[in-house]
Amino acid sequence: MSDIRGAGVREQAGGQSLAAVRAAVNGVALWCPDDAPEVTGVVAADLMSDVLVDARPGHVLVTGLVNVQVIRTAAIADLAAVVFARGKAVPADVVDLARQMKVPVFASDESLFEAAGRLYALFGPGPAEPGARRQV
Amino acid sequence: MSDAEFVHAYDVAGADFTNAGRASTGIKETLKHMGLPSPLIRRVAIAAYEAEMNMVMYARRGAMTLRVTPADVVIVARDEGPGIPDIGLAMREGYSTATPEMRELGFGAGMGLPNIKRNTDDLAISSEVGRGTTLVMTVHVS
Repeated sequence: MSDIRGAGVREQAGGQSLAAVRAAVNGVALWCPDDAPEVTGVVAADLMSDVLVDARPGHVLVTGLVNVQVIRTAAIADLAAVVFARGKAVPADVVDLARQMKVPVFASDESLFEAAGRLYALFGPGPAEPGARRQV
Repeated sequence: MSDAEFVHAYDVAGADFTNAGRASTGIKETLKHMGLPSPLIRRVAIAAYEAEMNMVMYARRGAMTLRVTPADVVIVARDEGPGIPDIGLAMREGYSTATPEMRELGFGAGMGLPNIKRNTDDLAISSEVGRGTTLVMTVHVS
């Protein structure tokens, strides 16, 4: 991608199950309902400002940032789930808010690079047009 | 005011990071209950959330008023805060006056106002330094 400021985004037409996403990142489900929707793509970022620009509905967010704003951002942007990478402890208030806002959340011990790389392998390359993802 | 108009106000407290985003979440839920299309709701919710985070980060207090008519969804975000000295500069992607604490929360990348403009059909900004800022954000329903 030509815009190095942007959050990394990958998506594919068919989508993947949350179970496949969890397995790819060796994740532990902190909260996940049985009827979770399909994941349409991936956005990897620590800046929620970037997520609000780059993410699309149904994307899973992979992030090293752990706080309640991650959950609120995911809910506002209609994201499918959040993967907290880097083995960071996820506080109870974050999981409680995720449950309340119905945002599936996973914890992974993988680095952000490793987790994003594994999801890239799962989803494949996304649209290559520079700036295309910035369109609403 | 016509019968078809819905109006509701949401308070926003400055520096209350625990509850930051609740007003926008309330706006999103309200629009869902009204049965508006998901893509429209998402655009309104993102614009409202960006505006709410700006108020929480910079202002002492503020309020967002949601007005829904058959033609438009309009949110007026009005705050008592420092104001914006140069609105043109604030509209530039990447320009930010955020503190390290704001960035630790994942915000303050200088994308807020540009992203509000991107997600709305019309954005009007008025601001007085030392007094506060008002955003009028409009998204057309059809």
